[in-house]
Amino acid sequence: MTIVKQTSPHIHRKDSLARMLIDVLVSLAPVSITALIVYGLAAFRNLMVSVATMSLCEFVFVLIMNRIPYDGTKHTLKEQFLHGVKEYRLYHLLGSLVSGVIFALIMPAATNPGYMIYIALILGAAFGMIIGKLVFGGLGQNIFNPAAVGMVFAKLCFGSKYVYATNDYVNGVSAGGTALSNLGNTSASLVGRYLEINDVATLDLFLGRVPGVIGEGFKFAILIGLIYLLIRRAADYRVVCSYLLGYTALMALAGIFVCVKVPEVNFGRFLLFQLLSGGVLFGATYMFTDPVTMPINAPGRVLYGLLGAGLTVIIRLFAALPEGVVFSLLLCNLAAPAIDHYAYSSNKFTWKKIAVMGGIFLIFVLGICFGLGFQEGVVR
Amino acid sequence: MIARSGTIKDTKGLLSTLPTLHLDVPDYLFVATDNARCPKSEIYVKEGDHIYLGQVIGMRDGGFFKQPIHASCSGTVEGYEEHYHRSGKKVRFLRLHNDHMDEWDPAIKPRTEEEIKKLTRKDFAEILEKTAMVGLGGSSFPTYVKFNNDKKIDVILINAIECEPYITADIRLMNEEMERIVRGIQYLQIAFECKKALICIKKKHGTLCRVYDEYLRRYPDSGISVCRVDNFYPQGWEIAMIKSALGIDVPSGHLPSEYGIANFNVSTVWGIYEAVKLNRPVIERRVSVTGDGVRYPSNFIVRIGTPLKTLLERCGGYAHPEKDKLFILGGPMMGASLPSDDCIITKTVTSVLAFDYEEKKEAPCIRCGSCVYSCPTGLEPKQIMDAVKAFDKERIKALSPLRCIECGLCSYVCTSHIRVTDYIRRAKMFAKIK
Repeated sequence: MTIVKQTSPHIHRKDSLARMLIDVLVSLAPVSITALIVYGLAAFRNLMVSVATMSLCEFVFVLIMNRIPYDGTKHTLKEQFLHGVKEYRLYHLLGSLVSGVIFALIMPAATNPGYMIYIALILGAAFGMIIGKLVFGGLGQNIFNPAAVGMVFAKLCFGSKYVYATNDYVNGVSAGGTALSNLGNTSASLVGRYLEINDVATLDLFLGRVPGVIGEGFKFAILIGLIYLLIRRAADYRVVCSYLLGYTALMALAGIFVCVKVPEVNFGRFLLFQLLSGGVLFGATYMFTDPVTMPINAPGRVLYGLLGAGLTVIIRLFAALPEGVVFSLLLCNLAAPAIDHYAYSSNKFTWKKIAVMGGIFLIFVLGICFGLGFQEGVVR
Repeated sequence: MIARSGTIKDTKGLLSTLPTLHLDVPDYLFVATDNARCPKSEIYVKEGDHIYLGQVIGMRDGGFFKQPIHASCSGTVEGYEEHYHRSGKKVRFLRLHNDHMDEWDPAIKPRTEEEIKKLTRKDFAEILEKTAMVGLGGSSFPTYVKFNNDKKIDVILINAIECEPYITADIRLMNEEMERIVRGIQYLQIAFECKKALICIKKKHGTLCRVYDEYLRRYPDSGISVCRVDNFYPQGWEIAMIKSALGIDVPSGHLPSEYGIANFNVSTVWGIYEAVKLNRPVIERRVSVTGDGVRYPSNFIVRIGTPLKTLLERCGGYAHPEKDKLFILGGPMMGASLPSDDCIITKTVTSVLAFDYEEKKEAPCIRCGSCVYSCPTGLEPKQIMDAVKAFDKERIKALSPLRCIECGLCSYVCTSHIRVTDYIRRAKMFAKIK
């Protein structure tokens, strides 16, 4: 028996990093299983390829970072390898699994030349992992969400080859443009863009019977995952709430403009369409809640959610890209260190901070007013 | 888990209902010559001298205050020995041979109630200085300093919260020494000329609250009442206690006495009774010996100066002698760990914990923010940790780590098992350097 000396405190909450990462994986399970059932082999291939690529990248990174320190003698490659493997822990594997599964779920089921999907998956996963995470120092050090970086890279490189498959649970998978793709067409008038909404049944959106990437359609599964994450406290409810509430509020404002100008569009259906289409729910559940890339204190996190919501709305309404969640997430990731700056960061909600949040929200409100207010509605 | 940890799992268990055991006074007792607060000391006795119980045998010098050293047994002086003090440092102890007669120093005479009623605050300060009363809750801050001002005190708060898990000494004291505690509070009321006194007890100790409600019915118009405070940790921190008992927010850097509040730990109140009524220094105290490394956890009334090993023998020794041990004097959240079990119980040791040690590897921080949410002083431990790692003095100062009370919650809640509190301690050192 030896007596150990250590500094206080001597007890610890029953909790660990592995437990938190496993919670995220468990919350991803409903979506992954639904995707596997619906898309079958395509989803399986997506998951396997991206998880394998990301895990391999992280493993090699751990080996490189944990070489034997120089001590004058030569070490064989085998010794170096074994020394590195000792430092490879469960959380390294789980961290790359989480990123890999999320990346797989935001990739499409197929590409036009069939082999292209492998290239997109491997390059996207490797780029996301290396540039998005490992160059900053690995787990916990990254500025950007690795899955989002990989997705943007793949989309920019291979976007034109994507085939968004749909599934109606009866006839099987068929291809088509995403529910949002027509909305991205800025040259079309408001009528042309938003009348489409009436063609999409809200239930179809909820069940994922619309074309899209393999994971984001199944809203019921995502909601199960979100509830699990919030119950297990593996996600911060502040970000989820401020993101979803901010998004709903800004979209409601946009809905008023659209409905006034295009009377055929139903306000409720517009709002539900904007909430349930694309990756809003998926992003809010799995990507905006990544604690590594968000600010550290409560007011910062609320602001982060609001900023993300505003940017998503602006990108969706005005940009050439139909899908705004991932881009707004990356922009918010960039803003996180600035939100965390030591000169003003604290965990207290002060009036100043609330005023700043209100100011930023107001900028988005004005943006929507100016952007939509001067657009031509229906010409009768 | 991204969550604030308000409450810590209570591990007091059945120990809080077991009666306190009287530990036999051992043959040899040890009295510290100097301690963490007092670096210098002067000893008046020499080897072979006969001493009485409670006799002043030396004087500690703590810079702005002087503290007499009292013998905790009658017998003979037997030279010096080095042992560990509760602060984790090795200090010089005076070895006393106990003759088991317990002859009190003839100069010590109890006071009558009439005498006590005539005492002023200055007299109280003098008595407490002579009897070397210190904060028995573990702070070891000299109590008389709290009496050495003439600010108007409106309310006396008695800290009976004991928010550290595992420790049950104060709860047992509250149960077993009711009369002395209430009388002690009445003496404080005389000293501060104040009518209102609140005994702060955690809500979850419902039985104790009800027992005191019932007992205080016997003292009508005494102005003493029970105040039920929340269960969160660190509720025993004086500023948190004042906030939840009175709703007053004392900013950091200010003393509670500026707001008309005097606060004392419940065992200090008991000590004040002994000092004022019986004119005795503290010669024994209650110590919890617990933790999963001890075979039979128990509470003891221990003579000051008893070696820790005697206590452990009385507890049946170690539960798993083959496992590595962690020794903690004080609570598991804030107590100091000892490099050896060769330690002496001094006045301010509230508990001895022995844990089976398990090494936990640190994982990288994932910025979950639990430490930021949990910090009772509103600091951002993760940001301070980053600044310390970067040796960025400017950033450290801007994050004001000196507000930290080292409650240990940031390490307790850390998802990645990082010892965040250590970084904050280092930041405090940085911030103190100009």
